[in-house]
Amino acid sequence: MLQYWTAILTEATIFAVLALGIDMIWGWAGDFDLSAYAYFALGVYMTIVLTIGKPHPPVSYVLGLHLFYPVAVVLAVVVVVAFASIIGAIALRSLREVYFSITTLGAVWAIYYWVENYTPLFNGYNGVYGLFDPLGGGMSYSAYHYYFFAACLVILAGVYVVVTRLSKSPFGRMVRAVRDDEAAASVYGRNVFWAKYRTYLFGAGLAGFSGALFAAYIGAFNPLDWRPTEIFVLYAAILVGGRGNPKGVILGSFIVYVGFVELTRYIPSPQARPELGPALRQILIGVLIILMLKFRPSGLIPERLGTDGTQVRRTWRTLFSRSARSVDEIDVDNSVASESEVDA
Amino acid sequence: MGIAVAAILALSAVAFTLEYAVSRVVNLAHGEVLTIGAYSAYVGETNFHLNIYVCALVATVFGALTAMGLNLFLIERFRDQKPLSTLIATLGASLILQNLLLIGFGGASVSYGFAQGSLLHVGPFLWTTLTIRVIVSAIVVAGMIYVFLQRTKIGKALRAVAQNRSLAQVSGIPARSVVMRTWATAGAVSGFAGFLYGETIGTITPSIGNGFLLLSITAAVGGGLGRPYATLGGALVLGLVMSIAGTYWSSAYQLVIAFGFLVLMLLIKPNGMFVRGRAQMVRA
Repeated sequence: MLQYWTAILTEATIFAVLALGIDMIWGWAGDFDLSAYAYFALGVYMTIVLTIGKPHPPVSYVLGLHLFYPVAVVLAVVVVVAFASIIGAIALRSLREVYFSITTLGAVWAIYYWVENYTPLFNGYNGVYGLFDPLGGGMSYSAYHYYFFAACLVILAGVYVVVTRLSKSPFGRMVRAVRDDEAAASVYGRNVFWAKYRTYLFGAGLAGFSGALFAAYIGAFNPLDWRPTEIFVLYAAILVGGRGNPKGVILGSFIVYVGFVELTRYIPSPQARPELGPALRQILIGVLIILMLKFRPSGLIPERLGTDGTQVRRTWRTLFSRSARSVDEIDVDNSVASESEVDA
Repeated sequence: MGIAVAAILALSAVAFTLEYAVSRVVNLAHGEVLTIGAYSAYVGETNFHLNIYVCALVATVFGALTAMGLNLFLIERFRDQKPLSTLIATLGASLILQNLLLIGFGGASVSYGFAQGSLLHVGPFLWTTLTIRVIVSAIVVAGMIYVFLQRTKIGKALRAVAQNRSLAQVSGIPARSVVMRTWATAGAVSGFAGFLYGETIGTITPSIGNGFLLLSITAAVGGGLGRPYATLGGALVLGLVMSIAGTYWSSAYQLVIAFGFLVLMLLIKPNGMFVRGRAQMVRA
């Protein structure tokens, strides 16, 4: 039982890091990015191929180095950010909102099918495997998992501190100002593209980093078990916790991820119908996304900004107050403005 | 990617763009409407032994019902929200529908048992009667859409609502009902396209809508989102590009090529190749 909980909470911790990355792009900059899966997966792939050594036929993949795990993590993040700089430059240059989202959606599926079919890259749909005990401590299987969970918690705490500081910094406020009113922010001398682009690279980097952690956790990755839809649970988690608020995002990740795993554990999955459990889980995620968007789009702990741009101190009371929907009302004004632009 | 798939793509993309035109929503559950059309025809054929024409009709009806349900229970309820919120909501709807199909029919692929038809030589090409049937029916449906948009009162009302819903409403056009009927039309076309697609590729799985959604989006955005004729042009150009590319690369890279096409279009002319003028920034 203890091992079971350790496993679930480790996954939730890693996914919380990923959710923080997605939330920087979606919550702070307001760009709904669907290609986060690609950055996560690339982080996993790069970490594995940089640490497991040369491929043995018929398995084939690029690089095949035997690096020390932390070095591999750094390199993986660098590759992910370099890759995101291409996608981001295309998607953010002259596209916003819906156009941005569908471009990233196209990107993630194009990359997905390419990786699945082009075996010399990451061994196609069979995937890559073979990473275990990356720091080489020679621990037993269960002890390793306990230490790894502890390490993940420490890393999450570190990421949380960095992200919160960044969120409260002039940069964090500037990105939100750009999100709320691009024209006004650019009149005040902010470079809109550069603000969004940097946020995008940060977010993608975090997603790649969480992928590198995940690689050390499961040690194997293939496109059939990990389809892009697998991380939609995190979009639900961010909505539940509160977009643009690191605390809320972490809370949401734990509530939603652990909640879903626990809820769907008791759904019978008969031998003849192995797809039943996962399918019901995906349906619940879809329902949760729609209900949150409709009834509480700003989440359990909403992001709330004071009139002077500083973050207002929140209390637990906001969890239950109706005024939490105020962020929403601002959004309605924006939609009127953007509709008139389309007609022009 | 054969010419038959290009014809089906044209139908699917026009339906997608009509939905956007009246509701300003990028419907990510569009692929599932096609899939539902394909599966309802499958049920009609295997469980009720209907003939091919009745099956096509069943697919059309179920496609229309699904799209109307989406509009009634989702799109209309999100009218007061940003288009981006509606997009995310349709993503949720797509997850729900796709997994309901997975529960109902399982993940294994199924196929129709209709006669595949014989081979024909027309001009320099080798055709099957199936391909010809698909192409002819796609052209007929495209013609019907044209008549519907240009010659009927509801089509005129549709174009008015697409331009400005509130203005249409105060001019005495029942905007709500026009939007609903547009969704019904788009759903019917999608359901029919799904049936044709299932017949052409021969295998139906709950996730066939996924790839087709992306192709439809690419065609619509490449041609001009929300503009039926521009979208039709976009679909034909995309079909041509993919046919040419398909002779050099494996069809497994279809979506990669389509995405390359989308990126190229977005960089050259982000508001669509058949739309006059050039937008500095497109946000929808």
